[in-house]
Amino acid sequence: MKSKTGYNIITYAIAFILCAFSILPVLWVLSTSLKPETMVFSSPPRWIPEIVSFEHYKSVLSDPRMLRYFFNSFATAGLSTIAALIVGILGAYGFSRYRFPGHKTLMISILFTRMLPRVALIVPFFVTLQKLKMYNTRAGLVLVFLIITMPLSIWLLKGFFDGIPFEIEEAAIVDGCSPLGVLIRIVIPITLPAIASVGMYVFITAWNEFLFALTMTKGIELRTISVGLAFFIDEFGVRWGPLMAASILMSIPAMIVFSLFQKSLIKGLSEGAVKG
Amino acid sequence: MKLPVLTNARKRNLVGLLMATPATVILLVMMAYPVIQTFVFSVSEVTLPFFKLSFNGIENFITAFTKPDIVKIITNTLVWTVFSVVLRLILGLGTALIMNNTHLRGITIMRVISLLPWTVPTIVTANTWRWIFQSDFGVINGTLRQLGLGSLAKTWLASPATAMPSILTAATWAGFPFVMMMLLSAMQGLSKEHYEAASIDGANSFQLFLHITLPGIKPVLFVVVALETISAINAFDLIFIMTGGGPAGTTETLGLFVYRLAFGGGFEFGPASAVSVVMILIAVIGFLIYAPTQKINKKRKLV
Repeated sequence: MKSKTGYNIITYAIAFILCAFSILPVLWVLSTSLKPETMVFSSPPRWIPEIVSFEHYKSVLSDPRMLRYFFNSFATAGLSTIAALIVGILGAYGFSRYRFPGHKTLMISILFTRMLPRVALIVPFFVTLQKLKMYNTRAGLVLVFLIITMPLSIWLLKGFFDGIPFEIEEAAIVDGCSPLGVLIRIVIPITLPAIASVGMYVFITAWNEFLFALTMTKGIELRTISVGLAFFIDEFGVRWGPLMAASILMSIPAMIVFSLFQKSLIKGLSEGAVKG
Repeated sequence: MKLPVLTNARKRNLVGLLMATPATVILLVMMAYPVIQTFVFSVSEVTLPFFKLSFNGIENFITAFTKPDIVKIITNTLVWTVFSVVLRLILGLGTALIMNNTHLRGITIMRVISLLPWTVPTIVTANTWRWIFQSDFGVINGTLRQLGLGSLAKTWLASPATAMPSILTAATWAGFPFVMMMLLSAMQGLSKEHYEAASIDGANSFQLFLHITLPGIKPVLFVVVALETISAINAFDLIFIMTGGGPAGTTETLGLFVYRLAFGGGFEFGPASAVSVVMILIAVIGFLIYAPTQKINKKRKLV
């Protein structure tokens, strides 16, 4: 098909506007985070800082409370991801290769967790964690995060496992390998890149979690960075410079993961949403 | 799907069941049990500090749904849901159509840029737009003043008239890339031959869109609408951080209402659970619409 120049120019113009809408807010945050404190509130707004300063990053990274929030996010999201992957690999492989009583019900339940309102769970989770004396503990928070991380990892991993041909596994089983042996020695090694990308995506989802981290903890000891940034305010009001620097820092893990695994994630997610 | 032909079927089932056991336990403990608890709490008087329960019928529902601001909350939830879904859909579909022009130079980089908001954590999105809409030093008001349009500058997030549209802008920004991604990958799955045949027959771009693209992406479109609608009804983080439901309750939706009842100081766990039950039921209805599409696609794939 021969392309028409006029059509192309309009398409480019619209594409440009859409890209501007996408990127400008991010650039504005970046710009604010790199301005010296005195220029954060300059008027008229300046997109390119006259002087690039890392003072806001320094102030965030030298604040023990902020470091604590970042550490808490890493620990909670990390532990929850590891638990979700262990349970998820076993479960996803079981769901992918075997049919057993309750198979369908379980798959439907996993799918349903995607739609279940998280806010409807805060009261029962709060009550149960209080009763188990696990409210405001890391273990409690990791457990609560599992309701997000586990279904996601099962769903995505099952998609990847479904895509592997069975022949190798059949041969191994004929040779006397146990089902668990097949999973550990054959399936996991060949799907390791996929497992890594699922793990990273699950980690990011947990890293971004806000509501449970807000309601299942109190005080600052276990507070994650998402909650920390929601209450980034002191007696002088919101400190926009450090807040924007911390926002950039909080976004870095997600940006890295998405740039590394963009293709496989998009494939996994778009297939996972449409296929059973 | 073809299953490996192995030992006897019973043994095979047992292995699968064992593998799925940890996941099943977690689902029971972390989903089934809390949902049941929510239903129980919704018909109980919950007494602190030991969460003693006593049955009180529909009293919690009456308490929650006769609160003075309930009409406003339901209206807000509807407005929020309809507009965030429609805006995300229009922008997402439009962007997908533009980004599907693979012959354009630089299309890959433009795709990546337009996906950018999707990678930004919700908390960061909320703070970003809070800063953009900030009334004294925000970039919107600053730019308006610079252009001599200072009279248009507003206290965006603090005025009842502009708070909801402002949050919707942020929600659209954060949400349209996912819609675009889903629709774009659906469009790329459509066969090029249909397009070629139709354009030889003299169909214009709009006709191609209406008769080939749209029917082709309909299943995905349907799924996206279902997912977006439910996630809009369940929304919490973005609104909570940008306005906290204010000013004067003009942006309070059901999700924030549950939070306010339970954790806003009153510890009204019973009424909070009553609202939660309603939200769960809405999610179930949404799911019943959405789930069958999954099976239809599976069947189609098997054939």
